[in-house]
Amino acid sequence: MSITLDIKYAARLLHKKPVFTALTIFIVAIGLGLTLYTYSLLSNLVFKPLLLNKDTPIISIEAEFNQSHLFRIGIDPYDLLTIRNEMDSIDEIGVYQDRTSLIGNTQNNSVTRKYNSVNIEWNVFEFTGVKPIMGRVLMAEDHFEGAEPVIVLGYDIWQHYFMAQEDIVGSVILADAIPTRVVGIMPQGFAFPMTAQAWLPIKQELLSPTDWSRNGLFAYARLKKEVPFEVFQQELALLNKKVVKLLPDNVRWRMDDFEGYLRAVPYKKANITQFYSIFITMAVVVLLILLLACINVGNLLLARVNERFKEVAIRVALGIPRNRLILQMLLESIFICTIGGFLAILIAGWGLELSNTVFEQMYMATEQKPFWWQVSLDVDAILLLIVAVVAMIAITGFIPAWRALSGDFNAVLRDGTRGSQGKKAARASQILVISEILLSCVVLVIATILLSTSYSAGQADYGVDTNNRITATIELPVVDYPIREEEEFELADTLKRTAFYYQLKDSLEQMPNIEGVAFMSQLPGTGAGASFFEIEGRVAAVYNENPYSNNEVVSRDAWHAIGMRVIQGRDFNLDDISAEVDTIIINESISNDFFPDGDAIGQRVRRAFRNPDADREGGWQTIVGVVSDTYHGSAMRTSSEQYSSYFMLDHIGYSSIDVAIHYNGSQAEAEKSLQHAINQVNNNATVYNMQSYDELISQPMILVSAISKVFLLCGVIAIFLAASGIYAVAANSISQRTQEIGVRRALGASDSKIMQLFMRKAVWQLVIGLSIGITMSLWVVNKMTDTMVINQGSYMVGLIAIPLLIIIMVLVATYVPTRKIVLMEPSDALHHD
Amino acid sequence: MKSNNNTNNTTDIRNAENAAQVLVNLHEIKKIFYTDDVETHALNNINLTINKGEYLSISGPSGCGKSTLLSLLGLLDTSSSGSYTLAGHDVSDLNRDERAAIRNKEIGFIFQAFNLISDLTVAENVELPLTYRSDFDAKQRAAMVNTALEKVDMLHRAHHFPSQLSGGQQQRVAVARAISAKPSIILADEPTGNLDSKNAQIVMALLDQLHQEGATICMVTHDPRSAARAERMIEVFDGKIVADQRTETPTAIAV
Repeated sequence: MSITLDIKYAARLLHKKPVFTALTIFIVAIGLGLTLYTYSLLSNLVFKPLLLNKDTPIISIEAEFNQSHLFRIGIDPYDLLTIRNEMDSIDEIGVYQDRTSLIGNTQNNSVTRKYNSVNIEWNVFEFTGVKPIMGRVLMAEDHFEGAEPVIVLGYDIWQHYFMAQEDIVGSVILADAIPTRVVGIMPQGFAFPMTAQAWLPIKQELLSPTDWSRNGLFAYARLKKEVPFEVFQQELALLNKKVVKLLPDNVRWRMDDFEGYLRAVPYKKANITQFYSIFITMAVVVLLILLLACINVGNLLLARVNERFKEVAIRVALGIPRNRLILQMLLESIFICTIGGFLAILIAGWGLELSNTVFEQMYMATEQKPFWWQVSLDVDAILLLIVAVVAMIAITGFIPAWRALSGDFNAVLRDGTRGSQGKKAARASQILVISEILLSCVVLVIATILLSTSYSAGQADYGVDTNNRITATIELPVVDYPIREEEEFELADTLKRTAFYYQLKDSLEQMPNIEGVAFMSQLPGTGAGASFFEIEGRVAAVYNENPYSNNEVVSRDAWHAIGMRVIQGRDFNLDDISAEVDTIIINESISNDFFPDGDAIGQRVRRAFRNPDADREGGWQTIVGVVSDTYHGSAMRTSSEQYSSYFMLDHIGYSSIDVAIHYNGSQAEAEKSLQHAINQVNNNATVYNMQSYDELISQPMILVSAISKVFLLCGVIAIFLAASGIYAVAANSISQRTQEIGVRRALGASDSKIMQLFMRKAVWQLVIGLSIGITMSLWVVNKMTDTMVINQGSYMVGLIAIPLLIIIMVLVATYVPTRKIVLMEPSDALHHD
Repeated sequence: MKSNNNTNNTTDIRNAENAAQVLVNLHEIKKIFYTDDVETHALNNINLTINKGEYLSISGPSGCGKSTLLSLLGLLDTSSSGSYTLAGHDVSDLNRDERAAIRNKEIGFIFQAFNLISDLTVAENVELPLTYRSDFDAKQRAAMVNTALEKVDMLHRAHHFPSQLSGGQQQRVAVARAISAKPSIILADEPTGNLDSKNAQIVMALLDQLHQEGATICMVTHDPRSAARAERMIEVFDGKIVADQRTETPTAIAV
């Protein structure tokens, strides 16, 4: 009954001060909402193990992540066989190769369409515990040489491409122009290993190789129940040492500079290695915001206790038991945090919905969204929320309860005033202000640097003209354009593929709406392939002390189509195909930095490798031209290099290549023209990822840009929390010293002396808070640079503007309440209650 | 006529002597507090003169305005009307900083609740008013602090914090702080109100001693025994001075 009275009293107090109540609930809701959102996001995307119908997590076994290009690398099938044979701790294992397949229908001669497919081991379906909805899954016999080509289709292909054809199982379709029998249909949503829409048997020779090769495979595995993942990693590290020693020279390129090669990673984490540090940064920032919110709410409640000090003193005088007093102080926290917790669910739910939309946009063109990238609130998240609410009640309730218990009630009751601030309370206030400064600094610096970097990257000049340009990827059918391994066919096959591209280019450029066509291995603004290069006469002693450049394959007469210019020398021409000397074109930066006298033309360069005898393909190449600079890769990626070298398409003739088309008129018309021209040249060729050049450039930025928006939100919230929190803490701390100010003024201190006293203290708090805050920010930002390029401007904004902003906030937060008290008559200040 | 002239001359000389002795002169002082629509006349047409070296007590029932009067005397508050002359200077219309400077040089305060700053040591508390002036260097300040603490017999606790002292000791430190800058007048607001009888006696004896050494003391108290220690007793009622009498022989403190 008496507790009911306390509850009613707490509710009445909250109702009496609606602004205070709304503000504290808002802060709690934001802090908890962000935490819940981030937990759900990271848990779904990264941390929650992928189990798929079994109780042991799936792991990925692959080569060390390529930090310079930011992509995953497969393991040599021969080494995977070693892992299979030697590692007893593995319970189940299978291998796969990601690819795309051009799916066609033999019956109605329809247009082929590109789908994400995978060449995979037959056991994948048993491994995942998923059964087909029609037909059968792959079998061991399907791998054998000479076996009939078979395919298991995903639900979407069956529904949308084959229009849910009922007798699809058993029928023959085209997969990369090869007649292939459909043996089964998988249920909706099944896309293991990551984005697969069709499953084809991997070649038996890759499952039981007899030697090393240039192939790379990824493995999915489950460990035996009794084997912890960390133990397996140690075992694999030992095996790695053994394996790298055995690697023959021609495959030693597989290991990194630290002789790392084999690695095991939790399956989800493996897919976001390049974003991992950003996600972790996000988690850190959100935790700091939660802490900031806790401090703010705790402080607001502390201020409340100060207001209620006399009431507390009277209760103590009336003999309130200690635990009852603590409960009373906690009651307001319980109300506030519980309501805030409910609102947090709404905020997090809204954020997750928004994230799902971003993921859809991000992977719209490539359809490369991992199947588990569908985020939602789950039971774990709700449990976390409950724990967080309880923790927040404890933190925010503890501070006022401690204050209530530590006061000098006798003095309060005797003097009618709440007494001057004790030494402990004063120190607690200082710690609160310093914590606010420190946390705000870290959150705001990180958010600002990331935002500024992301904005700069979005505004980056990639050196190309993206207006009225569409881009696409073209893939040639293997049947019509084979890549035969025998050396005598190499030139003929290359010429045949190249001929397709130039025919397509001619066909397009004859159309009135097409201004120019460029083929390039990867267009400026997108991911790049890079290596070291040597300059004749200036070869460094160690291969990796040579300069580093992007290497792109480009068609003749391509530059103008993407707004690039030949600055010196000439473009590739037909004579280069049969010339005895290999030719190369470099960009302006290489020319300026290494041939400052303008004498680049005629000089010779070549790729530099760790093991030149085994790895080198080709010899010296003569520079015939210098073109304008472009930026390959996202401006935020560490792999983006300022140096670029261009090789002639005619010498390589990739079976899949990017195309950029400069058009006039509408984009839709240009896309139609491209499709039409491809059909004219070879209607088995497939075009996909068709989009504007601007969309292409923005693709790698979408996730970072989305996370930046979360950081922006965090930044705005942090500014709000920091401003209100610093003000509230400072005002509360200063207000508790009202009587002291009165005494000082009674003793003759001038206004300016009092102001100086408090401002000096604020400056000290700033010095301590900012020193720690900036150091912590630099540490976190340094971690972020593993996967991001942070530009100088962002550092300037983050490390100068933010501390300045905080300095202003703290000084204002100190000046305003101090001034308010100083303006009181000393007699009022002395008797301030 | 001659005798008249003589009388006039005598009066003029006495007035001149009086003028030289007058330290505080309040003329028609009013203090009105406004709370919402309520107007409270805390002080009503107060006229009061305090001479140098005088020891007076102000007493009266709770809410009569005695503490308000002390606040006005101490320039802790401003009057609603009337004039106030302190040591020959009109201090009625000074700005905040000028008032602060006068408080610092001319007035020493002793509060009922001691009002020592808890984070400062005893010596630092006593030194505090001296630090607001530029005419003493650190050495001089230290000497003045030692003198003041010696006078109240608290030198041995100079480096303690207020929380480590008893109430009586704290009040003695407050007295030392009040006299450290050698003010023209010491204003004491219920100086024994928070003390037990033994400590009250010590503090009152200190005030006696200060008075004997020439200090001007104005003390607000509702304790008749403390009031009887003063040589002049003023009684305030409903914001007015209703009695102003000199005691022939101030009573030795009896508790």
